[in-house]
Amino acid sequence: MNRQGLRFALICMMTSVFLDHSAFADDAGAITAPFDLSDPARIETGKKRFGANCAAYCHGSEGEGGKTPSFKGNTHFTPADAHKTITEGRTGSDVMPPWGETFTPEQIWELVAYLNYLSKQPASH
Amino acid sequence: MLKRMEPKRSWSSIVGGAALVLLSAGAASAEGKGPGFDDPNNWPQYHRSPNAWRFSPLDQINKDNVKKLHISWIHQPGVITHGLQATPIVIDGVMYTIAADNNVFALDAATGAVIWRYTAKLDPIVKQVFYQSASRGVTVGRGKVFIGSLDGRFIALDQKTGKELWSTQLTNMKNEYGALFSSPPQLAGDILFGGTTGGDQPIIGKIFAVNADTGERAWTFDIPKDDPKSWPGDSRNVGGGSAWLPGTYDPSTDTIYIGTSNAAPDFNREGREGDNLYTATVLALEPKTGKIKWHRQEVPNDTWDFDSAYEALLVPDGKGSQSLVHLNKNGFVYVMNKDNGDIKNVWQYTENMNWAKGVDPKTGIPIEPNFPETDKTKLHCPNLLGARSWNHGSYNPGTKLWYSHGMEVCNHVTSAKQEKPAGVGSLSLGLADIKLTDPPGKKADGWLAAFDPLTGKESWKVRFDMPPLSSVLSTAGGLVFTGDMYGNLYAYDADNGKELWKFNAGSGARGGPVSYAVNGKQYIAIPTGLGSHAPGFLSGAFPKIKDLPGGAALLVFTVD
Repeated sequence: MNRQGLRFALICMMTSVFLDHSAFADDAGAITAPFDLSDPARIETGKKRFGANCAAYCHGSEGEGGKTPSFKGNTHFTPADAHKTITEGRTGSDVMPPWGETFTPEQIWELVAYLNYLSKQPASH
Repeated sequence: MLKRMEPKRSWSSIVGGAALVLLSAGAASAEGKGPGFDDPNNWPQYHRSPNAWRFSPLDQINKDNVKKLHISWIHQPGVITHGLQATPIVIDGVMYTIAADNNVFALDAATGAVIWRYTAKLDPIVKQVFYQSASRGVTVGRGKVFIGSLDGRFIALDQKTGKELWSTQLTNMKNEYGALFSSPPQLAGDILFGGTTGGDQPIIGKIFAVNADTGERAWTFDIPKDDPKSWPGDSRNVGGGSAWLPGTYDPSTDTIYIGTSNAAPDFNREGREGDNLYTATVLALEPKTGKIKWHRQEVPNDTWDFDSAYEALLVPDGKGSQSLVHLNKNGFVYVMNKDNGDIKNVWQYTENMNWAKGVDPKTGIPIEPNFPETDKTKLHCPNLLGARSWNHGSYNPGTKLWYSHGMEVCNHVTSAKQEKPAGVGSLSLGLADIKLTDPPGKKADGWLAAFDPLTGKESWKVRFDMPPLSSVLSTAGGLVFTGDMYGNLYAYDADNGKELWKFNAGSGARGGPVSYAVNGKQYIAIPTGLGSHAPGFLSGAFPKIKDLPGGAALLVFTVD
């Protein structure tokens, strides 16, 4: 198993250990949020965290910048995939560092709640 | 055995006119001796010469034959993260360059054949940090190839074999929020010096120096000055600073010139209401000791992420001496006495500037700066990437013009108090939100311009729908080379900006074009592969950037 795979496995194990208060697995086995992603308070918390850590140097205001597809109006947005990407990071022609050792799974879900909110907003461009 | 290339034709035959006859002898003329003209076949250091001209005295490729420019060879490093940002070094027919993740190559400069490859074994923490993968080049000298590593080391390799000779750990990646070397350390005699990323991190940013032959520590310069007037309370300990671009070494005066980065938190000054020396400052240092000869702070209490990190251009002042010409991200060019930093002139570089009413051309002091304020949103021009990104300009001593890119892009900034950054990949930005956008009443764009560097008088300007991020090369062939974010590479007439050659590389240019000669044949090498964080920032103002591909290919051209 490569290092990234090992890290993901460890994160999955940790996630399962703390499942009671960090995430749930639905019947299909997908990781789901431990709270209602449409909770306005969680969205607001995620927005602030996004603004300070994600928007400023990569994803842009309301997630419309960066080299990634805009979050606003993104019909392909999948919360579980977003949580995985934020936790593990991604490397290609650009690079996103992993945030799984910086933020708790719950804090990452709050980021996901904000992104999920953005995905339901009309695209600007 | 390499021989010196004799120009096949002179400038006078190209452009004609008695007034230009003085320029015609190129590298062989009396006027053409000294810094900028020495060692014409090589590109021996980052800016080619200590005066940071990025000018090649070669003229075999010129206005008359540039249309015949064709690919000679291509090098693909096989790693593309953040593209190619390096300026290759060429010495005696061998090219030394670096690609993503500290992959260093020695290549036959006539064929592209790989002579050796070195891949640094990096601390796994490098995958956690913000400024990953990218390097701007290597330094070659004293029989060694030097790199600044992505895990905070200076490393020396054997120039012939690529074998590691020594490695010195200089930063604590975990405690210093991933402070690393994105630029090659530079040589000043037997001193190897350079700074880290760090303007955006809550640390005391530093310039490090080691013995180039042994790696033994020589001195360390703390950029935030130990002065409570400059840094109230505990602000110095998280004040950022550093020096993230290569400095230059002027052997004629034994002086290091190096510019420093912004203070942190970048966009919020609560708790650091002082001038925040020596951030956003041009430093002249003694190489042996690291002591300051003089300093010129360009942006006191920088709260716009302006820095003072760009190249220190030394150009003839017309009075038998030289002036230091320094572009700041804040949209102004500072012309100084190179021996004491005294201001000779300040001229406005960008068309759109509103962060201050201006800069006093006699004192260099900003006039009524408009600071970001906590929880307020303000429109500031230039944007955080600056009047130009770090892509360096080029000075041609023949035309006496400085060719440099610019961007007309602003940003909406919502300043916020900075909480303790959460982890090793976090930055200290003091931001709630930022969006790059058009200047008021205009469409954001970019340009390449030719300026008198002393006065700012514009000779010509070519506009681009998006700001090019390539450094610029000028040659004695009367040409100016650069590339744009789409991957179009260009050669322009140095006299009037007329486009003479264009080539589609397929991915944008972000590195440093160079020219050199092997066995009497001149080559133009242009790194391609769009990278760095700048395109991502700019996509807020230019959404089409999202669709531009990455890549990494070093393209080398010649004429038959």
